[in-house]
Amino acid sequence: MNQQDGDLVYDYPAVEAVLTRHEGKGRAGLLPCLQDLQQINGWLTPELCQLVGQRLNIPIADIYGVIDYYALLYKEPVGRTIIRVCDDIACYLAGSEEVLAEFKKWLGIGPGETTPDGKYTLEVHPCLGYCDQAPMALVNQEIHGHLTPEAVATLLEAK
Amino acid sequence: MAAQTQILTERIGKIDPSSLEEYVGSGGFEALRRALTLSPVDIIYEVETSHLIGRGGAAFPTAFKWRAVAREEARPKYVVCNADESEPGTFKDRYLMEGDPFRIIEALAIAAYAVGANKGYIYIRGEYPLAYQRLAHAVEESRRAAYLGFNVGGSDFCFDIELYRGAGAYVCGEETALFESIEGKRGQPRLKPPYPVTHGLFNKPTVINNVETLANIPPIILNGGFWYRSLGVHLNPGPKLYAVSGHVRRPGVYEATMDLTLRDLIYELAGGIPGGRKLQAVLVGGAAGAFLGPEQLDVALGFDSLHHIGATLGSGAVMVMDETVDLWQVLRRVTRFFQHESCGKCFPCQLGTQRQAEIVARLAEGEIRPGDKALLIDIGLTMKDASLCGLGQTASNALLSACDRFSLLGEGGGQ
Amino acid sequence: MTDLVTCVIDGQSVAVPVGTTILEAARQLGRDIPTLCHHEALTASGQCRICSVEVEGARTLLPACAAEVRTGMVIHTRSERVDRSRKVILEMLASAADVSEAPDILAYAEEYGADFSRFADGERLTYPILDDNPFYIRDYNKCILCGRCVQACGSDMQFAFALTIAGRGFHSHIATFFEKPLPETSCVFCGNCVGVCPTNALQPKLSWLLAQGTDWNEVREQTKKSHPAKNMRKRR
Repeated sequence: MNQQDGDLVYDYPAVEAVLTRHEGKGRAGLLPCLQDLQQINGWLTPELCQLVGQRLNIPIADIYGVIDYYALLYKEPVGRTIIRVCDDIACYLAGSEEVLAEFKKWLGIGPGETTPDGKYTLEVHPCLGYCDQAPMALVNQEIHGHLTPEAVATLLEAK
Repeated sequence: MAAQTQILTERIGKIDPSSLEEYVGSGGFEALRRALTLSPVDIIYEVETSHLIGRGGAAFPTAFKWRAVAREEARPKYVVCNADESEPGTFKDRYLMEGDPFRIIEALAIAAYAVGANKGYIYIRGEYPLAYQRLAHAVEESRRAAYLGFNVGGSDFCFDIELYRGAGAYVCGEETALFESIEGKRGQPRLKPPYPVTHGLFNKPTVINNVETLANIPPIILNGGFWYRSLGVHLNPGPKLYAVSGHVRRPGVYEATMDLTLRDLIYELAGGIPGGRKLQAVLVGGAAGAFLGPEQLDVALGFDSLHHIGATLGSGAVMVMDETVDLWQVLRRVTRFFQHESCGKCFPCQLGTQRQAEIVARLAEGEIRPGDKALLIDIGLTMKDASLCGLGQTASNALLSACDRFSLLGEGGGQ
Repeated sequence: MTDLVTCVIDGQSVAVPVGTTILEAARQLGRDIPTLCHHEALTASGQCRICSVEVEGARTLLPACAAEVRTGMVIHTRSERVDRSRKVILEMLASAADVSEAPDILAYAEEYGADFSRFADGERLTYPILDDNPFYIRDYNKCILCGRCVQACGSDMQFAFALTIAGRGFHSHIATFFEKPLPETSCVFCGNCVGVCPTNALQPKLSWLLAQGTDWNEVREQTKKSHPAKNMRKRR
């Protein structure tokens, strides 16, 4: 995310390429378009949503409703690295509470918060579907299974 | 282990999942080739003969959907693979997609040919990045080798697949919510009827099948429906994937016919409970499933056999808890899951999942009030009877089964 | 000639044209079924479930406003399951929203013996009253999420598409684009949403001011401002 003095600066050629790729598909293009834009910008700003509305011909209120519905779409700034710690049944049985505590300690933030430097966002997530590797966390697109508090420390030190 | 099979998982761990050559070299796309020499009617006949039942959780006969869509006159028609696996404790579809992605493409193409569709969608859970990459690669490779696109395998059948990534909503695994999501709306379930076979994706006739269901199709085409029906249990034939997690030595996905007992799954296949500890409870079927106790270990893990004892196989998730577990902490997570994942459309579920989770969170802290049990039963029955979709209808199953099975609120206690 | 289907509602047989909903058929027999989200002018969304009825052989209850009558249906508009569902839905609604100005809900609560104290300690989301235009105010503390206003604003009536439902589950709420004030949205101040709101969450500003005892001169001052489109602040 590039943010300077309240004016948002986008990678416009990349944004344009995404819009062009999805604009012929109508509403069926909305979800992939939002996902691709978020890939570029980290989160979905009102300005980006307005562009999507114009190009895909979708009411912008509807776009907002869609973004706010899905857990993986963000309507406010998030960290460049999003850590999603699973704390559902299988991970809980394998000690996810200690793993989560270690993440909190290291990052100095709680679930749903972003570090002040904009580097990390921590989330507690419902079952992520890697119960055979419990306890686990998704770090952006990386799958980290069989976590221990020590493994968390190693993981974050390497970042 | 008599019940263990290697049909759905025949290639997993044995071939490079990114290699089309290895897939074809191990018999891949033979079923599609064979299917293209058959008439659509014959294919549906084979699937019907097989008695294949949907593996997504609702246990609906697959051939019934296919035949209904094949008979529809409206065009275009669609086939959709539901790969939005999100039931807690379930990871079998991810295992299949990561380990044998071409198989899903082959099966979806056969389904499309059988029902007269030329476009397919695979809707993959957003939290499955590796499964998405593998499938995306497999789709490209299949196109390159003309297993997708115009004139599939040299026939006059044209078919292509588009991949969609979910964006973090459990309820999108509900078929109509999944359609809404692809259509760029809030992924909330629609009223049924009309059903997907007449008004599905983009309001067109649509077959929607779970990943594991589709994985059964190639062997059925190659070996015939009668062969398939001879596997395992009468009326619940064929192999099933079980995702075992929690307190077992070897958590993972196991394939077996549905005469496999819970005891054999936990103690033989998954290696039993570590540390010599005793079994306390098993949650079968995921968060929407039911708790079983140690005295029920000899139940066979089939749709019918579990139904007879008031449980459900659901997606095939088996979560094992030893004697050290505080069940209230587990129930707190089960109810928190539904609270988080309720879409909010219908009132019973939107409000019921919230109030249920609040009460359970309080009980987990040891604060029991008179009337709690009555409240939970009232919420549970109201959600079960009056919710719009399966999420709300099953959101109290695990909780109420646990209270019942383990007398958590006493025999009629908390009244 | 329209094809007719025959069903039995509370023991009475009735023949209705194909496509008739259970609610319409029941009303034809003089049996009333409670409704909240249903509105004659809007698409049936079947989401409040207060109109749930029991159909013999069906696994769950069916929403009478949306479910069509099929031949041979045996329908009960009251039963143990129906009454419990209605009562519990009403009790939970009252725990999540201020229903004091929703006469239908209060009447149904009386009829079904709903005890509003049962879930009274449950979490309740609170919202500031939104007074951002001269025509109507939005008090979402009274909102039960029936969705009528969104339908009326969208393709059921006005095609203004200023409103949406945002959030999910218990945190669902009616919203504009990024929660912006109405004058900055595509709202055309047609008033249709106010007209269909069943709980007084949306109120004409005039009656809201009067109910608060504001004096007439002040009311006139606050509600006669020029059309909001003219005051619209240009964004960037």
